[in-house]
Amino acid sequence: MMPAKNLVKMVVGNTLRSRRHFILSAFGIVIGIATFVLFLASTEQVGAVLERIFPVEEVEVVAPQVSLLGKDISKRLDDTLVQTIKTRPEAKRVLPRMSLQFPAYGDGTFNGSHLSLEIGGAADGIDPSYVVDDAALSAKEHEFFADVFKDWESDPTPRTACVPPGPKDPNPCPRTDRYYCDKVDRQCHHRVPVVLSPTMLELYNTQFAKSHGTPVIDQDFAKFIIQQGGMERMRFTLALGVSVFGSASAAGKSREVEATVIGISSKAKKIGMTVPLAYISRWNTEFVSRDAGKTYSSIVVTLAQREQLAVFAQWLQDKLDLRLEDSLGEKFATVVFVIRLVLVIISLVIIGISSINIAHNFFMQVTERRRELGLLRAVGATQTDVQLVVMGEAGLIGVIGGVLGILCGWLLSLAVDGLSNHYVPNFPFKPTTWFHFQWWILLGGLACATFFSVIGGYLPARKAARMQPAAALAAQ
Amino acid sequence: MADKAAPVIRLRDVTKSYGVGSAKTPVLRGVSFDVNPGELIALVGQSGSGKSTLLNIIGGLDTCDAGEVEVLGLDTRKATDAARAKMRNESIGFVFQAFNLLDHLTVLDNVTLPASFTPDAKDLETRGREALRRVGLADLAKRRPGELSGGQKQRVAIARALFGNPKLLLCDEPTGNLDSQTGKEVIDFFRELNAKDGVTLVIVTHERRVSSVAQRVIAMKDGMLVETTDEALAAGGGPA
Repeated sequence: MMPAKNLVKMVVGNTLRSRRHFILSAFGIVIGIATFVLFLASTEQVGAVLERIFPVEEVEVVAPQVSLLGKDISKRLDDTLVQTIKTRPEAKRVLPRMSLQFPAYGDGTFNGSHLSLEIGGAADGIDPSYVVDDAALSAKEHEFFADVFKDWESDPTPRTACVPPGPKDPNPCPRTDRYYCDKVDRQCHHRVPVVLSPTMLELYNTQFAKSHGTPVIDQDFAKFIIQQGGMERMRFTLALGVSVFGSASAAGKSREVEATVIGISSKAKKIGMTVPLAYISRWNTEFVSRDAGKTYSSIVVTLAQREQLAVFAQWLQDKLDLRLEDSLGEKFATVVFVIRLVLVIISLVIIGISSINIAHNFFMQVTERRRELGLLRAVGATQTDVQLVVMGEAGLIGVIGGVLGILCGWLLSLAVDGLSNHYVPNFPFKPTTWFHFQWWILLGGLACATFFSVIGGYLPARKAARMQPAAALAAQ
Repeated sequence: MADKAAPVIRLRDVTKSYGVGSAKTPVLRGVSFDVNPGELIALVGQSGSGKSTLLNIIGGLDTCDAGEVEVLGLDTRKATDAARAKMRNESIGFVFQAFNLLDHLTVLDNVTLPASFTPDAKDLETRGREALRRVGLADLAKRRPGELSGGQKQRVAIARALFGNPKLLLCDEPTGNLDSQTGKEVIDFFRELNAKDGVTLVIVTHERRVSSVAQRVIAMKDGMLVETTDEALAAGGGPA
């Protein structure tokens, strides 16, 4: 077989000497690969956005709603059930969530605007580790959340006594950015740490901030807090047992605590707010019943492997009579997968047609160049050498066509992003780019282009190799 | 002329036909002869007599239907494609009537083309220029074939054939596309090559002036041989 260096030199020389042949052969591959990488990059980005909104490796176990004469008799989610689910091999982590089961509202002033929001039913509690251990957090965020997002009421440090200040009096507690003076027990308490979901942040930024003239919140929430003048500026009052609509809790009591928004977490309740579980449990016990303080609204299960979802769901239904909450994320992921499959098939069809086009062009080339190929045989080329030369030329067209295709796809993506940024109005989770060019997409595009080109060149190369040198040399 | 050394070419009852069935046309009918080392053979005959086919079979560019073909000790019928290619690359030089130069390569690159298929080929440029010097074209190494005259092209083709210092030179109508003066120069070159370097030459030709310099003339008629110089000239000699 001819030395590889000579093969490469001959292949490059032959490919570059016929521009017409190159353009005719590579055109389809360029178009095919451009669509291939563009489609994959766009569906990859859509998938990434959806995963940010709906993490699919986490599922929420809920009890089917059952009522009798208007009374909720649904299965109760309690610690026993949590322990049972923990025994399953599919479950990597099992954490209960508890909803606030009585009326409450948040009230505060932000950047000069007075805000009141009903949170009864829209607030829940979760084990702090669920928020703190989120792999998506930066080291700085993790450290901050670990320091602040916890049940401060169980902190063994003795509390400082205080006199509740008047509306214009300064905060009498030490570390005013964190502590407030409780009106009931006249002691300094750490403000209840609250995290909000990215959905809330998006809704605030795209809907609320503009209409109320409040500042847009940066993705780096810690930075935003500093810009706003510290955590104290993020505080608000939680009126427990009272609704913004005027109704009160069944127990007929109410009180106020102070809370502070400490950050954004994808683990927070999508619409509402999330605090450490112990707060909600205590409040439900205080304002509803002891039982309410031990009853969970759902159980968040992190699966060991995404593929185990079906097995786990079946076990839940068969053994515990529970179900998974309808997961929009899963449905969207399926839709995105199907769309991606269709788009990839379309681009593969285009590339496949290009491959046929390459075969056609190379058959013509082999016929046109048979004297040349015959000469190569006469001066010492084997059948394999000739086949490698022709297939190498096809492969090189694939590589160059693939690179040009990727380049075209990338330029097209810039154009689409540019148009989108100018003409498509903002909406929640609108990405800054519609494409995510992962390395495997680019590599896959290049490999695909090369593979299909070599396939296209195979039969012509075989024909070239099998030509009798004497007949090839005699050709006119 | 004939010595005790093994023949460079040994043919026995070589047959070859083209086409199939009723359209089958025999081209070679039991051709047998030997060519000894250092011989200059002229293969003559009318068009369609099978001389070019025979030359191609000797060079491993074509295969026969039956018979024995042994070239430089290699049984080309039984040898693998790789073995035949190695033989062509290292031991045989071809000169064609149509030159068969590659227009996209320089003269030097055309001459060194056989080295593309030789592992560990060294000093390509030096050897290529030396081959061009031998044919008197040392100054045209960087030209393209399109810039050369017919005679120059044929000399480039001869330089390519000589590049690997072959033991056997197979020439198919080497002067067919040349004017008489250039043709004479080419023939003189072949004779000198044979006399000085001992290269064995088999030249397919129509021309009497070519066959006149041959040590032996093998004439072909209807796929069969007539091996006498006089008969050959009578049967296949062309214009003087």
